[in-house]
Amino acid sequence: MKSFFPCGQTRREFVWEMGGGFAGLALTSLLASEGFTFGKEAAPAGPLAPKKPHFPVKAKACIFLMMNGGPSQVDTFDPKPTLEKFAGQPLPEGKKFINSGGRKMGFLTPSFRPFKPGGKSGLPVSDFFPKVREHADKLAVIRSCHTDSHAHGSALVAMNTGKTFIGRPSLGSWAVYGLGTANQDLPGYVVLMDKRGGPISGQPNWGSGFMSAAYSGMLFRPTGDPILDLRGPAHLSGAAQREQLDLMAKLNQEHLDARPGGRDLLARMNSYELAYRMQSATPEAVDLAKETKQTLEAYGVGQQPTDEFGRNCLIARRLVERGVRFVQLYSGGGHLEDTWDAHQSIEKNHGQHGKEVDQPIAALLSDLERRGLLDETLVIWGGEFGRMPFSEGKGEPGRNHNPYGFSMWMAGGGVKGGMAYGATDEFGFEAVEKKVHLHDLHATILHLMGLDHEQLTYFHQGRNERLTDVYGKVVKDIIA
Amino acid sequence: MMSRRLSFLVVLFTFLLASPAMAEEKSAIRSILAERCLGCHGSREAKAGLRLDSRAAISKGGEGGPVVVPGKPAESRLIKAVNHAGDLKMPEKKLPATEIATLEKWVADGLPWTGDAEIPTPAANDPRLKHWAFQPITRPPVPKENGVNPVDAFIRAGLKTKGWSPAPPTDRRVFIRRVYFDLLGLPPSFEQVEAFANDPSKEAEAKLVDKLLDSPQYGERWGRHWLDIVRYAETCGYERDQVKPNIWKYRDWVINAFNADMPVDRFIREQLAGDEIPDRTEQSVIATGFLRLGTWNDEPNDANEYKYDRLEDMVHATGTAFIALTVKCARCHDHKFDPIKQTDYYRMASVFWSGYIEPGSRDHLGGPGTKVLGFDVHGWTDRGRTVPPIKLLKKGDPNRPGAVVEPGHLSTIAVLDKPFAPPPESAKTTHRRLQLANWMTDRQNPLTARVWVNRVWQHHFGLGLVRTPDNFGLTGEKPTHPELLDWLASELMANGWKTKPLHRLILLSETYRQSSIHPQQEEYAKTDAGNRLWWRAERQRLDAETLRDRLLAASGQIKLEPRGGLSFSPVIPPDALEGLSTKSAAWKPSPPTEQTRRSVYIFSKRGLLPPLLTTFDFPDTTLPSCQRDVTTVAPQALALMNNPFVHEQSGILAKRILKETSGQDAQIRQAWQLVLGRTPRPTEIQAAMAHLEKQSKTFAGRPEAATETLASLCHVLLNLNEFLYVD
Repeated sequence: MKSFFPCGQTRREFVWEMGGGFAGLALTSLLASEGFTFGKEAAPAGPLAPKKPHFPVKAKACIFLMMNGGPSQVDTFDPKPTLEKFAGQPLPEGKKFINSGGRKMGFLTPSFRPFKPGGKSGLPVSDFFPKVREHADKLAVIRSCHTDSHAHGSALVAMNTGKTFIGRPSLGSWAVYGLGTANQDLPGYVVLMDKRGGPISGQPNWGSGFMSAAYSGMLFRPTGDPILDLRGPAHLSGAAQREQLDLMAKLNQEHLDARPGGRDLLARMNSYELAYRMQSATPEAVDLAKETKQTLEAYGVGQQPTDEFGRNCLIARRLVERGVRFVQLYSGGGHLEDTWDAHQSIEKNHGQHGKEVDQPIAALLSDLERRGLLDETLVIWGGEFGRMPFSEGKGEPGRNHNPYGFSMWMAGGGVKGGMAYGATDEFGFEAVEKKVHLHDLHATILHLMGLDHEQLTYFHQGRNERLTDVYGKVVKDIIA
Repeated sequence: MMSRRLSFLVVLFTFLLASPAMAEEKSAIRSILAERCLGCHGSREAKAGLRLDSRAAISKGGEGGPVVVPGKPAESRLIKAVNHAGDLKMPEKKLPATEIATLEKWVADGLPWTGDAEIPTPAANDPRLKHWAFQPITRPPVPKENGVNPVDAFIRAGLKTKGWSPAPPTDRRVFIRRVYFDLLGLPPSFEQVEAFANDPSKEAEAKLVDKLLDSPQYGERWGRHWLDIVRYAETCGYERDQVKPNIWKYRDWVINAFNADMPVDRFIREQLAGDEIPDRTEQSVIATGFLRLGTWNDEPNDANEYKYDRLEDMVHATGTAFIALTVKCARCHDHKFDPIKQTDYYRMASVFWSGYIEPGSRDHLGGPGTKVLGFDVHGWTDRGRTVPPIKLLKKGDPNRPGAVVEPGHLSTIAVLDKPFAPPPESAKTTHRRLQLANWMTDRQNPLTARVWVNRVWQHHFGLGLVRTPDNFGLTGEKPTHPELLDWLASELMANGWKTKPLHRLILLSETYRQSSIHPQQEEYAKTDAGNRLWWRAERQRLDAETLRDRLLAASGQIKLEPRGGLSFSPVIPPDALEGLSTKSAAWKPSPPTEQTRRSVYIFSKRGLLPPLLTTFDFPDTTLPSCQRDVTTVAPQALALMNNPFVHEQSGILAKRILKETSGQDAQIRQAWQLVLGRTPRPTEIQAAMAHLEKQSKTFAGRPEAATETLASLCHVLLNLNEFLYVD
């Protein structure tokens, strides 16, 4: 098995060889092509410099639509007519599960909204997603997903990092570690939050764990400047700031002249110019002023309840258009009903959240397609787990967490459309056919981005770490 | 499953294959068993619960039941296994036919047994045990070199092999900055620099080093290095991220321990077993806060699984911090690279094994509190003097418990390989932690002293003599100067495990005093880019806390007293709180009087580490961090260019200068002295003047134009490479 850091070679050693300099000294986020030189010294290529994939693929970027809280599969993408027949009956004995939170046990409950076939393929999608249904021919729905935790905190971290405990690099970190990013004026890995709050467990969901912080997700704030410290005090903007930077460059150059071979110093000088460009590139990337009225309307910007997620979807398109490698969008934030965590009522909760995201997601798929970006953008939809086919008490309209079987879908980026893969049992309770564990999901996502999950390793404390640990099988059947 | 068990045996069997010296008929069986089987099924280890070193043990069998049916070789699993006749093939390399025949005959004859009841298990001859780090620490002779200290003698000897010379010594102005940042994490003032540079005394360096080692800021700086390693934070992480009350007392204990130059063996013993030592004090019990520093999920998916994950975390933190071994890798299987058996993992885990701990209760906050444990016990990992036996988990899976493992030390260090003794009659705990601590600090333990001196070297030179301070195993790096490492380790122990003499020795060496620029650096770098021969000093970038402290020192705002006590919460921009699931309850900044304390006292909340620190590579707090990353990325430039905290310091500086000094030239000089600790060069004064002129035009008409103009210059100085790097 080939690996980035073969046994016996440490990561730092690798960095020296790559950087040709002293240990860990000069990791920069500079584009290699910028190669601004000083004497014989070139600033070292940074950790985010574009890298070749392990094998050629279509997808260049990924947009992960994270439905925080856990949407119900039997109410969205996994129709279960059997539930009609067994409505009001308990789940048959012998189906083992953890009753998350020790909630009241109810009875098997049919889908709250009907399913209808979509597109030429006739792939069924429920009425919680009528507009996404129009894109059914683009979707590969994996109905046999399963994960390792029934609790939001650990399941979110697992969906994002592969493990139920915090401290591992997230999927996006692995992607930019493996591929770098195309536009050095923007972060390579961006996370867009829901205004209502972040996911449970917070930062570890987009952190880089034991990898360098350079690979960690950059949080774009939903309001105001997208990233921290993008602007100083007003009087120091524009020409006054340029004047400061020019003086810095002059004084730094004198300092560097007395320290020949100072690649670390040079790299830092360059990082100021990059930061200066980011100050304009980042707001430009999230500025929707130049989008047409038609586009804004399509995404539901300026309308409720689609405005926020619509904006985020549109920003996601603008980011991948500008070369950002990995974008994750959260729908739902904070706790309980502010997320897809529909303990109280599927109809009410999924009705609300579905309405917020259905149109924006549909618009994103159309827009990417129209611009010829869909082929090179992998779009992923799903939550940290699914929900139970039974209710929480007699006549109660909510459902509890379900890690045993749930649906996710992918579109674009080399994915076959109009298909369902795998299956849950007759009730939609647990994955039974062609089961796809989240490690398999991760392996597949990396594969679609051109990375072999077994080859993409990071040497850490004596071990070649992988996103998929020692597991993971690529779901080849959904790849076009 | 059988075949998996088999794979665990493969490695060892390979090492045990010796030339078959068939002795006389009677002892043939003993010889076969000893040479072929006991490596895995003997007194050192009993894989699958099976021992083959006595007739009784063989008759009893292992986890899978009996392995022989006396008189019926064909029905005996042992015979099938050696014949490779089923799933279970033992050993992997099939025995010679003659030996198989001997075994078959022996079973057929009803297991006749002669001689001693038990066959002694032969000494392990795993070649990996010959790895340098497992060899005893020696005291190599210091190479003969006139007039230099022992550190230099070893380094010079290395350079001589290439015919190289060390970099010229730095001047005193560079030296004083270096030692200030190294020992205190703070800059010297302009006046201190000048006084030192002009001190005619030959003893000036030694006096300076002694003064700084006696400064209470020394412990704050060096204590922080240790806090990285033990993954110190003050909350539990995960959804609720609860505060661990009083855990800051552990932080203060660490700082005080460094300041008092607590012997390292004591330092280790108190952290692991401060409640079990005979001379325990309130402070030594506070030290056991080490045992509850990890993350704590009060809502784990599976309580049983979580129990074992916590155990792994403890083994990992302990193994990494004190002996730099990745023992945790042996939870599921024998270590792939190091001679650490799976049973070794469970031996070490037995130290932290209570058998009871169940997460879930929110009172626990990182382990049961004093209410549960008794008033003064901070260790949460054991709750009585006897605990249930610990079982090896097959493939590390909590649902697949295997054979009981006898609590004891790592077999990796053969000379100290022994089981734990039972606790004394009066003990309230198992006293396994104390035994582990005693094992670690035994002078025959080849790792502990080496690991410690390597860390000291690392924080003076940027990298250790062993460049992988968290891994002394076979996948780690070899020391650049093994003799020097050993000499320093033996010196540490000879000095009663005290660290300060080690600092003195290193800081007063010529190796430390080398310039970071070498006249032949281009040539040397071609063959030694990693500077493994230490032919020059390496320029260091300030770490996150030192940067923040230096900003406060430049503005004169830093508040060094009072030290210790409750942590403070810095002001964090509301934008940075967006990622939290519970925004309102997230962060309450401390009052302004607290805001200028040293960074080591910043409240360390796992769910929200201050962005200014994380941007500059403050490490993750879930796993031990033994060497910080040094990245250079644009968000760092954005932070220093735009962050309000930095602008606040430039503003304060400007006001101070305007108040104390008149005349542009003098103001520029003062700015340089306060921020960079030196006088500006003429070209710099010229550039600064031009800057002030331009900015004053831009800001003309604003009410604070004069302050803003000078603040702009100060702000530039705070952003310079010279401010962030130490030569």
